[in-house]
Amino acid sequence: MIITVENLHKKFGSLEVLRGISCKVKEREVVCMIGPSGSGKSTFLRCLNLLESITSGKVIVNGHDLADPKTDINKVRAELGMVFQQFNLFPHMTVLQNVTMAPIKVLGTPKRKAAEKALQLLDKVGLGDKADVYPSKLSGGQMQRVAIARALAMNPKIMLFDEPTSALDPELVGEVLAVMQDLAREGMTMMVVTHEMGFAREVADRVIFIDQGVIVEEDTPANIFSNPRHKRTRTFLGKIIKGDGVQGQSG
Amino acid sequence: MGLDLNWGLAINALPLLLEGMKLTIIIAVVGLFFGFFLGAAAGLARTSKNKILSGIATIYVEAIRGTPILVQALYLYFGVNQVLIYALGWKIESVPAGILAIAINSGAYISEIVRGAIQSIEKGQVEAGRSLGLSSFKTFYYIVWPQAFKRMIPSLGNQFIISLKDTSLFAFIAVGELVRQGQIAIAVTFAAFEIYTVIAALYLLMTLPISIVLRHIERRLDVN
Ligand SMILES: Nc1ncnc2c1ncn2[C@@H]1O[C@H](COP(=O)(O)OP(=O)(O)O)[C@@H](O)[C@H]1O
Ligand SMILES: [Mg+2]
Repeated sequence: MIITVENLHKKFGSLEVLRGISCKVKEREVVCMIGPSGSGKSTFLRCLNLLESITSGKVIVNGHDLADPKTDINKVRAELGMVFQQFNLFPHMTVLQNVTMAPIKVLGTPKRKAAEKALQLLDKVGLGDKADVYPSKLSGGQMQRVAIARALAMNPKIMLFDEPTSALDPELVGEVLAVMQDLAREGMTMMVVTHEMGFAREVADRVIFIDQGVIVEEDTPANIFSNPRHKRTRTFLGKIIKGDGVQGQSG
Repeated sequence: MGLDLNWGLAINALPLLLEGMKLTIIIAVVGLFFGFFLGAAAGLARTSKNKILSGIATIYVEAIRGTPILVQALYLYFGVNQVLIYALGWKIESVPAGILAIAINSGAYISEIVRGAIQSIEKGQVEAGRSLGLSSFKTFYYIVWPQAFKRMIPSLGNQFIISLKDTSLFAFIAVGELVRQGQIAIAVTFAAFEIYTVIAALYLLMTLPISIVLRHIERRLDVN
């Protein structure tokens, strides 16, 4: 197991956002997380790289015990890639600098080598010609692909995606999902919070439905979409399919 | 007895005035140089989670912003010096006192500029840096500070102009800056209108270029 979570609780003050989450993720597995807004999906993902502290419970990521205060947080984070809904590219750096920064400053990779690798990654996400451009000149879909390349530049063992396409215009969603699908095909371990049901159906090995801070149901996409066991899952999926499900199917 | 303007007197006083102008610039530039570091330190302290650190910085900023710079300069040059002479037999001369006053005064305002700029950087920037494995220091140094500094430039330029004009008050602590030199010239020539006109023009000569450069920088920053 590359991720093991046991009875994870997270409180913000008196508000308990995660109320006992347990789950396991195998290497090379792609897990999609779905659930209503405010159910704790982002918080859960952020606990996995300690962007949020853990209130109680056990979280082992790539062999590191995150609840242990002696764990080197920066080392854990360097092994995990994270992609945000709002891209969070560094606006004062070119695309290339965005991608090379962490390898140079964290891993001590020589500049030339970091740049070579970055160009390869940019090619891979279809942006080899944008290396010297500043992020403000890119479309949302391009920015998100740069953000993916930036995370990949650290050679992560696991990639975390927090609604990577939710801030995109509908016509730009596909290009980002395509990059993620490639990544999954290459065997990257991925945890993806998404509303793109088409992507989850096609790419995920497993879908987890979270509601009000607990895992209500987890299953293969086939089962969960065609045959959800819990009423809450059915209600949620009903809403999604009616809302933007059609677009999700095509994504 | 008609009004008898004599611009020749002002022109004769020009070398003296230019000498004062030189001192004005030196005090402003050196004072602001130290003021920037003081302000950056205080601004960072105010964003710090450490209560003692942020408390000290807050007291400093409120004390300085709540009192006139003239009082600060008089306090330093006459007040503090009285104690220094008594205790150490030594005092701060007028020019260093002026530089110190500008540094301490501008530092308080600059700290607010620094704090505002740092807090204006989106939280996602820090999270992106941290999630890549950068330490909090590296995240600040490579990601937050460069962006924050860019946002500070217009306000820093503005503070430069304010502090430059503030040096005129140091005539009160015997600094031979532009106003003081003018007063000396007027005491001899009685050409108050002519000489104060020249003094005002010289201040504009210093501040206008800064304003113009700032406007250019602001426009360029807007484009990016
Ligand atoms: N830093 C925080 N401080 C306080 N409450 C928070 C914080 N982050 C998230 N929350 C709350 O936690 C709950 C779950 O949020 P989140 O994990 O973002 O949900 P989701 O990603 O599923 O929409 C929400 O009620 C949100 O308001
Ligand atoms: Mg969320």
